[in-house]
Amino acid sequence: MSNEISIRQLLRWRAARAETEAPPAPRAARLLELARPWWETWPERFQSLVERLGSIQIAYGHAMAEPVEVRRSGYPVPTLIVRSGEELETSVCVLYLGVRDGRLRLRFQLEKAITHTPDTLEATFVAQGFTRPLFSAPAVLSVDNEYRIDCELPEKLARDWKELKVTDRMPFRLILRSDKDGP
Amino acid sequence: MRFVWFWTFWYWSKESFRSGHLLRGPLQGVGGHWDEWFQHEASEQDLRTIEETGRSESTQREFIAWLFRHWAGECHEPSRRMAPRFVAGQLAHVPPFNKWRAFEKYRNSYGLAGISALVLSGESAGGPEDVRRVEAIALPADSAGQKLIPEGFKAEAAEFATARSAAQGVLRGKGLLILLGLWVLGGRKPYPRWFSAALSAGWVAVAGLILFLLKGPEPGGQLFLLSAVLVGLWCSLMLVAAVVVLSQSFRAWRTGAYLAASLEQSQMRLCMNGGLTLKGGSAGLPFSLNLLLALYHSQPHAARRSWIWHRFFSEMHSDAESWAATGVITAAGYVSPVVIEPKLRACLQHNRIRHILTPRQREATERALCAIKPSSGAIKKEPSAEALSSGMRIGFAAEKPCLRIHRCRHLAQAIMALGKLTDRRRILANILPLIVSGIMVGALPDLRSILLPYPAPVAVAPASPSPYFIWASLDTKYPRYFSAVLESSYWSNRRAEVQPRGGLTPSVRAEIRLHRVIGTGASEEEGFVWIERRRRFLTREFLPGERVGRYSIAYLTRIGHE
Repeated sequence: MSNEISIRQLLRWRAARAETEAPPAPRAARLLELARPWWETWPERFQSLVERLGSIQIAYGHAMAEPVEVRRSGYPVPTLIVRSGEELETSVCVLYLGVRDGRLRLRFQLEKAITHTPDTLEATFVAQGFTRPLFSAPAVLSVDNEYRIDCELPEKLARDWKELKVTDRMPFRLILRSDKDGP
Repeated sequence: MRFVWFWTFWYWSKESFRSGHLLRGPLQGVGGHWDEWFQHEASEQDLRTIEETGRSESTQREFIAWLFRHWAGECHEPSRRMAPRFVAGQLAHVPPFNKWRAFEKYRNSYGLAGISALVLSGESAGGPEDVRRVEAIALPADSAGQKLIPEGFKAEAAEFATARSAAQGVLRGKGLLILLGLWVLGGRKPYPRWFSAALSAGWVAVAGLILFLLKGPEPGGQLFLLSAVLVGLWCSLMLVAAVVVLSQSFRAWRTGAYLAASLEQSQMRLCMNGGLTLKGGSAGLPFSLNLLLALYHSQPHAARRSWIWHRFFSEMHSDAESWAATGVITAAGYVSPVVIEPKLRACLQHNRIRHILTPRQREATERALCAIKPSSGAIKKEPSAEALSSGMRIGFAAEKPCLRIHRCRHLAQAIMALGKLTDRRRILANILPLIVSGIMVGALPDLRSILLPYPAPVAVAPASPSPYFIWASLDTKYPRYFSAVLESSYWSNRRAEVQPRGGLTPSVRAEIRLHRVIGTGASEEEGFVWIERRRRFLTREFLPGERVGRYSIAYLTRIGHE
């Protein structure tokens, strides 16, 4: 009896074994549910977060002791960080903003340092003065506690934001979620 | 042209900043900018050449050398001298450089020396890990106006502002005055050894001459010469001291003003690894000192103009590794007390620290340092790496701790200690010139009357209203340098001091009581009153000097009555 088994046979055997051990494929309803954005899955939660986000007031009062030259500091973007059931009101500083070929490239830094900075955050863009979200995209941790976003933009937004500069007031607020599975 | 890809990145960064896509300047945000460019903007060709550069350590090193030698030329401003080091430090954390071995040494440090801060972690009772290396790097000011950025730790912005104000004050403010005062009183001076010895000999000679004039034999005709030598020598020594002090003070002020302006226009980055969130302000003193050191690193040429600053900076630069500091600093530069014992213990256990700058407080003494040992158990010195690798067993033959405490009330004192500007022998040596100069100032009118005699006075009214006295009233403002001598055959000869006198007819005069000589046939109006110069030096009066006036008794008794 020959012990030699061809590679093809071995691969078939391994594939058959994997199929038997694999969990069952999710049902279509579950797939649809997974594909839905979180604000549709938990609309009440989203509503309360948006209300809280809308209540964040950030405005600088310059009580300067000495005359200073005009500075290029940009406008802080009101932000709500949601993780492990807790919410933290803060703001982010937009460091880079580029809209090209219908894609948004954004880098930002949190104004308030948080403990255990997560590698990825889900950034939900909420338009100023609206309760509907614009879109969401993953923000990946980069160097020096900066996060970067690279995502496609809806056509209208791509058109509107094309001329936007980092020193302009941003037309959005952010909800940053570190826990994708929970509300 | 090599490393074109870096130029491509650099100009993309500059252009993006100009067009408002980037918030931070190309230099200040170089790490994040590179990451963005490398992830999204770099072309296939760029990525390929970057990969080729990173393939071997030697090409990686070539890139770093190029960065320091050639790219640095792009930054023309003098304050951008630290730019390549900063860029290397920032790039070391982003792909692909975070995988490059050549960037290893820039990953945790900028490779600059700095005064260590003593920051206790949690409930630590003081260990070697509490001695934290601090580095400061000066960059051109950020367009966002951030003056001081912490790296590797967090602290209240107000603490940085205080440390920065203290550094500003000692460069151009009240702190500089304190520094100069300390230096004048007890600081090392920029003399060569032989010149210093000559100056000391000069002061001893001045003291010797003073003693000779006070206690020595009557100098007679030599008095003028001795006085001239004394005044000439003292003036020369004072001139040298004044020229050195004034010129060095002026240079220190100018250099300080220049460095203060640089500090104002710079963005300072303070690095301290460990990710600590600082509570309390005891790191203020090392922060201030490191800010000063960062200025020197960015512009070493600026300090060369002033001997004081140059000495301080070069000593601190070369020996910073062996210094640690602790103390809450105020904006005016004063150092307030802190918890000291665990910090001393931490320094004792650290094998690099030899000097510690502390506030002036009771616990910071050599005695307290010695007392730390038994209370804390065995002091465990960090064994060296070689000893560990060779498996060597180390036995500590305990000796007197080699840590030296330098107590300071003000940042200026820390500068004096760090720059080895304090000279205890100089403090003692300054006592003699101070005493001698005090005596000389007191004796100057006397010496002046010897070297440049006052004009001879003329006898004026009033005459004495009493027949028992003869008055020689003189029109002089310097009566103590004149005396009157009565020489007569009828009256007994007498000498009287000229001094201001009151009464019904106040005047500057000599009053001579008249005593008749028995058995003489002379007339009572026979005789003269001579006006003589008095030569004196402080408490001593020498033999009378020249006679500058002669008046008959008849003239003096009738003056004003004609």
